[in-house]
Amino acid sequence: MKIIIHDCDESYDAGFKNISDEVIWANGRYAPCQGCFECWTKNPATCRMKDSLHEICRSIGQADDLIIITKNCYGGYDTPVKNILDRAIGMSTPMSSYRGGQMHHTLRYGKKGRLTIVVYGDINENEKKTWELMAERNRINYGYENKELMIIDSINELEGMDI
Amino acid sequence: MKTVFIDCSPKKRLSASGFIASFTGVFVTGKKKKVKLRNKTDHESILNEIKDADNIVFTMPLYVDGVPSHVLPFLKEMEEFCKDNDLKISVYVIANNGFIEGNQNEPLMQIMENFCIRCNINWRGGLGIGGGVMMNVMRIMIAVVFLLTVLNLVVTAINKGFLDTDIVIGFAKDVAEILVLGCGIITFDIWMASCINRRKDYGKHYTRIMLPSFIFIIAADIFFTVISIFKGGVFRGWFSKKKPDMML
Repeated sequence: MKIIIHDCDESYDAGFKNISDEVIWANGRYAPCQGCFECWTKNPATCRMKDSLHEICRSIGQADDLIIITKNCYGGYDTPVKNILDRAIGMSTPMSSYRGGQMHHTLRYGKKGRLTIVVYGDINENEKKTWELMAERNRINYGYENKELMIIDSINELEGMDI
Repeated sequence: MKTVFIDCSPKKRLSASGFIASFTGVFVTGKKKKVKLRNKTDHESILNEIKDADNIVFTMPLYVDGVPSHVLPFLKEMEEFCKDNDLKISVYVIANNGFIEGNQNEPLMQIMENFCIRCNINWRGGLGIGGGVMMNVMRIMIAVVFLLTVLNLVVTAINKGFLDTDIVIGFAKDVAEILVLGCGIITFDIWMASCINRRKDYGKHYTRIMLPSFIFIIAADIFFTVISIFKGGVFRGWFSKKKPDMML
């Protein structure tokens, strides 16, 4: 299953839907994670907050091919996308084991194929280096076999890209 | 010298970030102020506090390899605030994560350093703590054990007519165990406080609860199992590959 998470304008939705099975539009109209862990300990894979991200981990968890398109924010995801990722930790379980030589939560939906991260917007060299690290850490954390990081200047460049 | 501690945990109370902010504050001299950053309504009051501050200490949990999402809007607002007011402030960061390896906080540290560069303020360094949840549980447990020890001493004294030193020795052993497990955190934290007091660079350092990782993982798994039994998650498809309701 191919899923795209993006924080572009809503007008990009139709184009993304043509090349994926599901599109998650990071529009920011939802609450941030409260750190309660109830998506692990009380109602597994379900967030306590009943907004559009209530069961978002169930969708993202099934993405064998996950594409995340985000504006740069100090070398990390911008708020609307990071908000979704924080609310989706239920795609792992509360149990831990070793992965990539370090401690990580075990994967509710198992290992997956490819993680692609597309970063756009104003970005400097330090932030690019942070993104290299971030993409690799996320790949291990989410249990993807491969990853690709694309850094582009403008969102308009997406149109000619094969993602 | 004024130091503002910004507790960035979204939790209302008993957070590891709040604890480490208070603990660090004990060793920092001068005027101190601890504030909570939980949502947008906190922004204005925090910006007012940092206007005349010399140091800021952000304490925060690691969320998905980075800064928690509710903190990002504040950082953006603070960036504008720093530029508008030409602030020359020093920033220190203490991050904690649930995994045992403190260096899993590295991406978060880099993001905070990048933030300081954008703001044109002084990045002084950060401390990444592995096993933050255990640190928090230990400090809550020792407070509970202390109360039980005092109660036990009083009851024993009433019944026997003297203070039972064995009870005190038992409590001292519990404290000693916690000091051993937390010696890395305590040492690196006091070192940071010393740098804050002198407005010196701290660099980036990573520490952890002093347990072998395989033992820590077993302890963490037991902890989450017990919590999940009490909260009922174990009986509601704890490990099941649940699908979205709309697809059922």
